[in-house]
Amino acid sequence: MTRVRRELLRWSLLAAAAAVLVVFLVAQRQSVEVSYGRSPSTAALPEGSAGELSDASVPSVEEMTALVAADPVVRLPGAVARWDERRVRAAIGDRATRILVAPPGLDEAERRRVRDVESAEIRIVGTEVSGGPYGASPDDLPGWRARFATADVTGPLLTLLATLHDQPVPPDGDDLRWREPTVPELAPVVTALRATGRYVGTGATLPRLPEKAAVAAFPDGAWFVVLPVQPYGEPLPAYGPALHRLAPDQPLVVMYGDWIEYHGPGAASFAEVAAASFYAQFGGRLGRYAYPQQNVLGAYLAQVTDVRYAGLFDRPLPYRPFDPLRVALPALPWIFAGCVAGFVVLSIRTVRGSGRRPADVGPGGTPARLAGLSALAVELSLLTDGRSDPALVRGVGRLRAARDAFDDGLPDRHVRELLADAAAELDDVARDVRMPGYRPDVYLRARLS
Amino acid sequence: MTASVLQWLGGGAMAVAAGFLAVSLPRRRARAEGRRVAWSSARAAIHDATVSRDASPAAVPEAERLLARAELLAAAGGGADAARAAAEHARRADGLWRAGR
Repeated sequence: MTRVRRELLRWSLLAAAAAVLVVFLVAQRQSVEVSYGRSPSTAALPEGSAGELSDASVPSVEEMTALVAADPVVRLPGAVARWDERRVRAAIGDRATRILVAPPGLDEAERRRVRDVESAEIRIVGTEVSGGPYGASPDDLPGWRARFATADVTGPLLTLLATLHDQPVPPDGDDLRWREPTVPELAPVVTALRATGRYVGTGATLPRLPEKAAVAAFPDGAWFVVLPVQPYGEPLPAYGPALHRLAPDQPLVVMYGDWIEYHGPGAASFAEVAAASFYAQFGGRLGRYAYPQQNVLGAYLAQVTDVRYAGLFDRPLPYRPFDPLRVALPALPWIFAGCVAGFVVLSIRTVRGSGRRPADVGPGGTPARLAGLSALAVELSLLTDGRSDPALVRGVGRLRAARDAFDDGLPDRHVRELLADAAAELDDVARDVRMPGYRPDVYLRARLS
Repeated sequence: MTASVLQWLGGGAMAVAAGFLAVSLPRRRARAEGRRVAWSSARAAIHDATVSRDASPAAVPEAERLLARAELLAAAGGGADAARAAAEHARRADGLWRAGR
């Protein structure tokens, strides 16, 4: 009984070890996604499906070449890029530099046509400035702000010109000027924000707010002010600071064109990180394509969510459901080792347990039977004659074989077989000499009882 | 992670080795025991046959031949099959001598 139970335990331990091993191996699936607290954001911008291609197109290469030959600065229909003409002209000097300005949102073939206009030394697609083998783009917040709020490419243009002409690169400046919004400007914004929490200016391409991303980024709600791209060269109305003074505890997102600002609680530590990471990552695409503001805002909010979940600002993490596998994973090797150890110990006991078992030393046991038959053989040996001698000798031979087998630890069954053969021979002898009292059955019953 | 790899590999190897030994050791032991049992029976049978030969009044060449072969097998040793063959030869020789008596 205990033996059966031990076998059962042994194999179930092995099965448990195998199951633990399988669980461990299955849990080894690695993911490249690393997020502190499993950020639920969806920051992917799918190619082409995000409305980044505009209806604008460009003429053929020959037509553009002809246009560029006719005019040093060619603005194709839909072009948005602006720059400080005085400074750019000064940088060009008396060289015959030609500039071709194409609209944003061109597809790959149209952009290649623009690149193939070889007489245009500088090409601008959307707000992406390139020329010769170089491309120039802003790499700090003032540069991105100018580029995306007012389509100003003065800085990249001057940098590119200086690089192409082997001249010292001018330092980056912040040319954007701000002004206080007027009371008539501010009043409808405040009214709309207090009513619905958002204000969408005329011309903004935001049919509806990306609600899910907004809730993930600002769980307590935020105000959204969405304005179209601002005219170049005019001071921008600084809605952010003005509204922040009105409601200091309210998170506020202000969007000028593709430029997004955050004002509100935690802005000092948070706004720059969010904006810098967002424009460093997506600035190139935003300048080249014509994304609707809705998609830009959605991507920005996803970035904000990622920043919040990055754990940089000691924000409390949302509840994460208890994952037994993750808790148990460090213990799995030890559970496995324990199961294996148990299996090994039980296996050893099983192997040793299958060895010899002690012989039955009682009156019915093999040793007693061997002794009794030996004594009977001695007594019979006095009575035999030539006819019954062989049987006696064979019986004695069998008895000796039985004794050897017993001494060698051979199985009891075999010893008993040999003894039975010996008893049969002695039975023949007893019948031959007509001594019924010496028949083994009778003799042993008398001796061993 | 790297530290626990040793545990997994070592544990797995130990489990496999223990399972293998737990199966193979008893089997080997049983086979060796069976061999010894078979030889014990064979030797007893050969002894019977020699006794019958000594007691037999007439010579039986066929039985002599069988017993010689059985003794040859026993002298050469071998596995359980050889032992069973030797026992069979000895038994047949024993039967022939007893019948020829």
